[in-house]
Amino acid sequence: MNPFIQYVGFGIVTAAILAIAAVGFTLQYAVTNVLNLAYGAIMTIGALAAYTVNQAGASIWLALVAGGASSAVVSVALSRGVFEPFKRRGLHMFGMVIVTIALGLFISNALLIVAGSNPFSYNAQAGGTYHFLGMIFTGQQLAVIGIALVAMVAVRVILQWTKLGRAMRATAADENLARACGINTQLVKDAAWLLSGALCGIAGVVLGLSVSGWTVSTSDGLLITVVAAAIVGGIGQPYGAILGALLLGIATSLVGGFFNPSYTDITAFTILVLFLVFRPTGLLSGVVRRRDVVV
Amino acid sequence: MGSGWGFYITLLLVYLGVDIIACLGLNIQLGLAGVMDFAFIIFQAIGAYVYAIFTLGPPNAGLGQGAGGQSYLWGTSLPFPLPYIMAMVAGAALAFFCAVVVLPRLRGDYEAMAFLVISLIATGIVTNQVGLFNGANGLYGIPQPFSGALNLPTLQYDWFYVGLTAVICLLVWLVTRRITTSPMGRLLRAVRENEQAARALGKDANRARVFAFLVGGALGGLSGGVLVAFITAWAPASWGYAETFVFITAIVVGGFGNDLGVLVGVLLVPVLFGELVRFLPSFGQASWVEAAQLMAYGLLTLLFLWFRPRGLIAERRRRYPAPADSLAPAVASSAAARIRARLGPAGRSR
Repeated sequence: MNPFIQYVGFGIVTAAILAIAAVGFTLQYAVTNVLNLAYGAIMTIGALAAYTVNQAGASIWLALVAGGASSAVVSVALSRGVFEPFKRRGLHMFGMVIVTIALGLFISNALLIVAGSNPFSYNAQAGGTYHFLGMIFTGQQLAVIGIALVAMVAVRVILQWTKLGRAMRATAADENLARACGINTQLVKDAAWLLSGALCGIAGVVLGLSVSGWTVSTSDGLLITVVAAAIVGGIGQPYGAILGALLLGIATSLVGGFFNPSYTDITAFTILVLFLVFRPTGLLSGVVRRRDVVV
Repeated sequence: MGSGWGFYITLLLVYLGVDIIACLGLNIQLGLAGVMDFAFIIFQAIGAYVYAIFTLGPPNAGLGQGAGGQSYLWGTSLPFPLPYIMAMVAGAALAFFCAVVVLPRLRGDYEAMAFLVISLIATGIVTNQVGLFNGANGLYGIPQPFSGALNLPTLQYDWFYVGLTAVICLLVWLVTRRITTSPMGRLLRAVRENEQAARALGKDANRARVFAFLVGGALGGLSGGVLVAFITAWAPASWGYAETFVFITAIVVGGFGNDLGVLVGVLLVPVLFGELVRFLPSFGQASWVEAAQLMAYGLLTLLFLWFRPRGLIAERRRRYPAPADSLAPAVASSAAARIRARLGPAGRSR
């Protein structure tokens, strides 16, 4: 067995999880213009909701749906209840980012108190092992990759071929112009929060599936890499985020496998710094859009 | 009053001093220059580590490893002010590196995100590279300045250190005031409010921001040195990314961009408010205290941003009178008249 190919296989699994989360993150930012650093906390909410459903006896697939749905609902609620009011109030300078961080800290520490720091794991059939192009996957890993593929195709279909997707892209490009063209941007933003929230929740569940035990702070740990994938992919570009996730997932897995598992974070860091230095607009940068500070 | 209270009060006072130094530094970056530095804690961290390795002595002395079986990259033992100065230099150097990488390229949200990522990954590197600063166990047994020469009982030494911290705080306050009231401070505010306008006037906005970042980093490093010389141990758990947020809360509450506001914020938030949460009736596990503290900081920030976004002591709005020959009629001419009246006939330029 070729270890290189096997590490690529592990990398693809990591990339699948990263891609779901990073696409949601970058889509949220592009359409709603809110850099949501409470994303990790919302991911944990989805994972916990799925855990509750799963413990109640439902299958992992139903739990996945429950996780996605609860994160989607929470995202919209936070947008309507916190982010939008703060925006309307005209927060100064760096205000919105601080609002999301404050909210994220609040939620994740509340979850820590409610759910405790013990590890959870889902009740799911382990499945056999499968060989594919020299790579070995467990059934769960294949499921993770499958879920990611379905999610990516769904996002592609929604963004590219539906009226809602076109409205989202228009809103992302220029909100005022979109509104002038008769698009109900408020509705589109709500839809974007729903869609990205669902991706966020699904990523949380899938992350929990891929590790032997997860805690309420596991998702916060992944947020680093998710954000890095989003930056590497390009500002607010969903397809870029997929590429960024693949690059980071495979690179960290290779480095971790061949050298030392503790180098994975450093690899992500190095890639991020290289991108910041040489290609700050990311892999896919058709148009350079400098977003100003939310005023 | 038992000596337990004495230790508690000295610790609190040193924390107060350290937080004042750090928040004044962060305020230069965040409040004055408008750089969203969510990685500020790493400057305090490197200051603490550098102070430690410049006092602990070479790592290979003794039992094949450094003092107490710790492993770290390199070490020496320098006399009193030098380790603090090295801590400042290290903070400034790291800040300069971060500034050069991030500041010219990213603005706004992505700048904030990049700094957050830098902070998180710095923790990852130091934790995993045990050879650097002893990994997750961190450095401990760090010598305190003058402790050998003074040879005081612990509590008296602690009060001595409170005094030393106060002197350093005063120096930092004077330097910070000097910067914030200087033309450089004015330039930084101008860059914060309207970068294009500042650039149009021929000001190098980027250089100004890098300068602010450097000064902030130096103060962060100094705060780390002052802190670690008192608590004598330093590990990655002491500088999680959330710690930056405590400083930011203090600045938001006090009034960002305003040195006096920062002092009030530090007094209220990490010291008074943070310690109040500690005294809540204890419930559940010990780790919940920290969780409850962070929840409270998050909530406090949200409430302040909603009800009092400019903080308790708002930054003074600076108004500059219009030039005498300005075409704007009523306001400008009355301002000009006031200036002329004040200057008298001799002060007239034409």
